Amino acid sequence: MVGAFDYAPAIVLLPFLSFLVALAGGKYLPKGGAFGGIAATAGSLVLSAWVFLTVSAGNAYNETLYTWVAGAGEETTRLTFGLLLDPLAAMMLLIVSLVALLVHVFSLGYMNDEGETGLPRYYAGLGLFTASMLGFVVADNLLMAFMFFELVGLCSYLLIGFWFRDSGPPSAAKKAFLVTRFGDYFFLVGVVAVFATFGTAKFAGEGAFPVIAEEALNGAAEVTTFGFAPETWFTILGLLILGGVIGKSAQFPLHTWLPDAMEGPTPVSALIHAATMVAAGVYLVARMYGFYLLSPTALAIIALVGGFTALFAATMGVVKQELKQVLAYSTISQYGYMMLALGTGGYVAAVFHLTTHAIFKALLFLGAGSVIIAMHHNENMWDMGGLKEKMPVTYWTFLSGSLALAGIVPFAGFWSKDEVLFEALIHGFGTLGTGEVGMLGGIYLLAYAMGLLAVFFTGFYTFRMLYLTFHRDARTETAEDPEPVRWNVKGPLAVLGIGAATIGLINMKPVAELTGAHIDFLHKWLLGPEEGGWPALTSTGLHHYEELLHDAAHVTAGYPLGETTTLLVSALVSLSLAVAGALVARSLYGGPDPVEHTDRLGGVKTVLMHNYYQDEYQVWLAQGVTVPLARAADKFDQGVVDGVVNGISSVSLFTGSRFRRIQSGLVTNYAALMTISLVLLLVVFVVFGGVVN
Amino acid sequence: MVPVQWYLLLGTAVFCIGLFGILTRKNALLFLMSVELMLNAANINLVAFSAYWGNVTGQTFSLFTMALAAAEVAVGIGIILVLYRNFDDVDVTLATGMRW
Repeated sequence: MVGAFDYAPAIVLLPFLSFLVALAGGKYLPKGGAFGGIAATAGSLVLSAWVFLTVSAGNAYNETLYTWVAGAGEETTRLTFGLLLDPLAAMMLLIVSLVALLVHVFSLGYMNDEGETGLPRYYAGLGLFTASMLGFVVADNLLMAFMFFELVGLCSYLLIGFWFRDSGPPSAAKKAFLVTRFGDYFFLVGVVAVFATFGTAKFAGEGAFPVIAEEALNGAAEVTTFGFAPETWFTILGLLILGGVIGKSAQFPLHTWLPDAMEGPTPVSALIHAATMVAAGVYLVARMYGFYLLSPTALAIIALVGGFTALFAATMGVVKQELKQVLAYSTISQYGYMMLALGTGGYVAAVFHLTTHAIFKALLFLGAGSVIIAMHHNENMWDMGGLKEKMPVTYWTFLSGSLALAGIVPFAGFWSKDEVLFEALIHGFGTLGTGEVGMLGGIYLLAYAMGLLAVFFTGFYTFRMLYLTFHRDARTETAEDPEPVRWNVKGPLAVLGIGAATIGLINMKPVAELTGAHIDFLHKWLLGPEEGGWPALTSTGLHHYEELLHDAAHVTAGYPLGETTTLLVSALVSLSLAVAGALVARSLYGGPDPVEHTDRLGGVKTVLMHNYYQDEYQVWLAQGVTVPLARAADKFDQGVVDGVVNGISSVSLFTGSRFRRIQSGLVTNYAALMTISLVLLLVVFVVFGGVVN
Repeated sequence: MVPVQWYLLLGTAVFCIGLFGILTRKNALLFLMSVELMLNAANINLVAFSAYWGNVTGQTFSLFTMALAAAEVAVGIGIILVLYRNFDDVDVTLATGMRW
């Protein structure tokens, strides 16, 4: 029977086809090839929905489709392409293709209607970007994932630098590429190390590397660990791969590329932040979660990085003046939450937040794009104001997204962010003072505290942005008379606005706890159709992860106030912090003539405006340390290595220049030389008796 | 019967005369003649040893060598003609273009 899984490769191939079409024939097509992209992503969306329904019925797919390198013999390493369609992948496919479709439609308004040139290049880039992200999502092994991971990076480079004639975008594109490449370097080393250790890089099923790693820890399998204890070696592997994750998902300290990436067209920012590129890092950790669960140390580092990034980025978002900059820092902060959830064993929470964030961040960026069209590409929020009455669709949808981002009940962000914090809290309490890594519980609680504090800042900067952009009176002439936007902007906004308000309903854990109704659909869906979970893919099922979390990572849940009370108190605390942030923003910026209250912060503001001098120290690292080092290495290479080689060759050159003088051109001299040589040879024969032993 | 040593002495003498000619003369035609002398010195040895061992193979071989020498002379004369055409002379010391 031909089912959804047989058509699954088309999900990736359709956007790739639109890339080829836009590249080859974009300038002959109407709208610069936009319709091809829309059709392709719509096709992907339909197929993804079909796959989603098939997976919902309890099926899963994990097949190798193509072997492109096969060693001789049976037990050798094979490099393959294949598909892994389990609940996580099916869900991500749906999100990516939905956001990609809406971004394509929105681009009609943002790029075509604004009279941009180079549209075929733009739509080709969008198509390839979507295709590579979808390919990354369905990848069934680490190497394939790495390839598409790199393709995603390449596409971000192409699209961020779309306006290559200005000075800003090309440099931002280079920065995005180089900073993420720095992380990917560790990822590549990690991929090779995984192959060297396990001989395979498959994510799931029999003989997948997380399974082998687990068996190796139990003593059921032998792997090469290069002289380390297996636990230590697996931690090293996990951290190497985490390097790529930190680069792509813009976690501290490799987050610096992301705010600069705002130089790209706004729909691209929406795509990068909501569904592709940045999501790729977090998705990768979720994809090989069974491996990370084997290493409590790696989990602790993930949690700590996540919690710290959430707080760190949120504080920077407070002082920014450009609309998109605020959103950029909010993205970094929100991905920090996802890392926090993954690090503290909240797999469902992380996937949930990934989903809701994709919806409301796409919404916020597209809303910002709408505002930017209206403001004639002025992004400074201090020049806006009063847009509420003039662009109601944008305002109401943006409000929905803002409420979701700030985490106000009942919008999407509340449910997911609350669950993230709740997981961190209970696992922190449960692990406090126990387990092999004694610090783990403490680290979890520290990360939790940072995440909780970030909630306040999130509420604050979100509503500061909202008030400055939309409320009260217009502060410039452009804001008095904004340019109207068309259906192709309003349509995607409406879809996402409704989504941001309702997507949280898929996993309302507090309500489920209170009423006893089983409405935590996402949790149940990831768990599997019946007791026992996903039989074919036990290694990526939630049941398995929960076992591993307990047995391998020694993380247990603890409820300081009883289960239901803890859940409610945790939700109330985070909600009241978010509301407090929103109210502070309202009192400071909701008035008729908002002023820059951040000036009162004095030196702190300077530090925040300079992003904690992260760029400065990284530039210093590059120019002050790496360049001299490279210069010294160059000198060594040119002087010593080349010197030795040149010295040896100069001996040959010198002797050659002397010996060539016997080539006099006089035939008599040659004859004489031959004669002398012959005589010498005869003499030698005579002296040594003709036989040389 | 003359002992084979005398033939060898004759061969050596002819060979040395040829070698001397090559090392001292400038005229290309004399070169050619000297080369012929050296070849025939080898022929003398072949025939002498052939007679000494009572085996005709050496004599047959020398017949071939003579035919070969004739062919070689044809090539040599060709080279000398080209030499003359280029330098208006058959002096081998003039043609020194093929040097370092």
